[in-house]
Amino acid sequence: MAEFINGSQNTNNAAPGDLASAIASATSYSEAFKLKAGLAQMLKGGVIMDVTTPAEARIAEEAGAVAVMALERIPSDIRAMGGVARMSNPAMIKEIQAAVTIPVMAKARIGHVTECKILESLNVDYVDESEVLTPADDKYHVDKTQFNIPFVCGCRNLGEALRRIKEGAAMIRTKGEAGTGDIVEAVKHIRTVNEEIAQAKAALANGGFLAISNLAREIGCDAQLLKETAELGRLPVVNFAAGGVATPADAALMMHFGCDGVFVGSGIFKDAKTPEHAAKRARAIVKATTQWTDMAALVEACEEHGEAMKGISNAGMKPEERMAGRGW
Amino acid sequence: MATVTVGVLALQGGVAEHLSLLKRAAPQVSPDDRSFHFLQVRTAAELAKCDALIIPGGESTTMSIVAQRLGLLEPLREFVKIQQKPVWGTCAGLVLLAEEASAVKKGGQELIGGLDVKVIRNRYGTQIQSFTADLRLPFLAETQTPSSSAVQQGGEAEKPFRGVFIRAPVVEKVNVSSSAREEETGKDKEPVEIMGVYQRQKSTSQRKQEQDALPAGGEATSTDEDIVAVRQRNVFGTSFHPELTTDFRIHVWWLKQVLDAVKPALN
Repeated sequence: MAEFINGSQNTNNAAPGDLASAIASATSYSEAFKLKAGLAQMLKGGVIMDVTTPAEARIAEEAGAVAVMALERIPSDIRAMGGVARMSNPAMIKEIQAAVTIPVMAKARIGHVTECKILESLNVDYVDESEVLTPADDKYHVDKTQFNIPFVCGCRNLGEALRRIKEGAAMIRTKGEAGTGDIVEAVKHIRTVNEEIAQAKAALANGGFLAISNLAREIGCDAQLLKETAELGRLPVVNFAAGGVATPADAALMMHFGCDGVFVGSGIFKDAKTPEHAAKRARAIVKATTQWTDMAALVEACEEHGEAMKGISNAGMKPEERMAGRGW
Repeated sequence: MATVTVGVLALQGGVAEHLSLLKRAAPQVSPDDRSFHFLQVRTAAELAKCDALIIPGGESTTMSIVAQRLGLLEPLREFVKIQQKPVWGTCAGLVLLAEEASAVKKGGQELIGGLDVKVIRNRYGTQIQSFTADLRLPFLAETQTPSSSAVQQGGEAEKPFRGVFIRAPVVEKVNVSSSAREEETGKDKEPVEIMGVYQRQKSTSQRKQEQDALPAGGEATSTDEDIVAVRQRNVFGTSFHPELTTDFRIHVWWLKQVLDAVKPALN
């Protein structure tokens, strides 16, 4: 069906679900983009943990985290404190970079090009253009193609994911509802993405590129990217779960929904009684993510995890209290 | 039909990537009386089924910690060093197969070993220093069958391999183990072969420093050679990621090595 668009035959020969060869063979991806997406491919099957101090970063590394997200406050504390949440102090990010050998990510406000440039000069390994911080631009996200470092962005649905990829995001995560310890929104977002991919596949099968174009207009995304997604049967970059993952069972649930890995924000350190308790939780969540199909391992992980963060139910939350609505 | 089982260690990282290229490479190797079976390996029981193993790219600290918790480190060491079955590690896999690694996390990192080399993790720095570069890999000429060699000489095999280096390690030293340790293990060691190098441009300051140290008239070279592919007996390692490309020539070459290695066992 590719003959409909500018005569360019952009179809890659990846088998359905074969993200690996899809990224490697995609003619629409530049070599620089493949390097960015490639790091995310190397993180697959792993856990990325929010950390606020070098000591927490070391706990994450020892637990087997594939990367850490350096930020001044975990999302649950950002939520509790209120006010404007911004990029973390570079001094704090540098301390964390010095403490660990695994990749270090950091968050910038949505649309804040300068925060992103600062993080790039700090040589962080990935920038999260994140709704957890207060957005800096109410109209545009950052043009991520202009950067040499890769970006991960949040999504609630397929259209949003593909808009971010079109802007240059090399990795996607569900938004969920950060800092709540309530998994319901993360589930809703991955389920929505999966349902819309199924819809796109059906559209391509039944109506070809015209039907894909219609659907692309409806969900507000690039038609070519939507077509590639439909052919592949999954997002064309690595997709992690985020926003409310608080227990080993939550992490395994998100893997069950087809996520490539998980971000754990507040779930490790919030309400942890001691650093040892946090370390136990971190190890248990890594175990549940890497061995999510092994029920005996999950039972062990849940036992080892101990008491989870108290959390805030999403059910009683006012719209203005939600972070997932930030970004578009 | 005899089956040759090739596993990919599936604790984390580029597992699907390797499986995808193995499946594409297999028909090129086409063993007449044998077929390949590819398997994700997460347990010692799965490892025991394998004739050969790939350890993919990913985070070496994560893989090491997870393997340790699963009780897989010892079975892996036995697979590599005692049974001496063919093993290939890419990036993190190379780190794990090295006898020594530097720039590791505080408190050190458990390795599988098998390659008598010392690697430096994240040799080039953070993600912003990740890069791709054309590599000349002379061993790829070996992959040609006699019938195709005339056609492919100067063609396919001569084509440079696009090396994808992501927070990549580099082999700093080969044949590092002391003679005392060799006596201890008691096996006659084959030396480490350097299978590929990357010509890295020296920084201006490094070149100047070297220039100043030379007698008048001498000229410092503009590049350094980083060792990015090594082999020692049954163990092969690359610091780059062939699994992030569509080029399966190294997979074809390695599968042929695997067939050669398992042949005596099957006959």
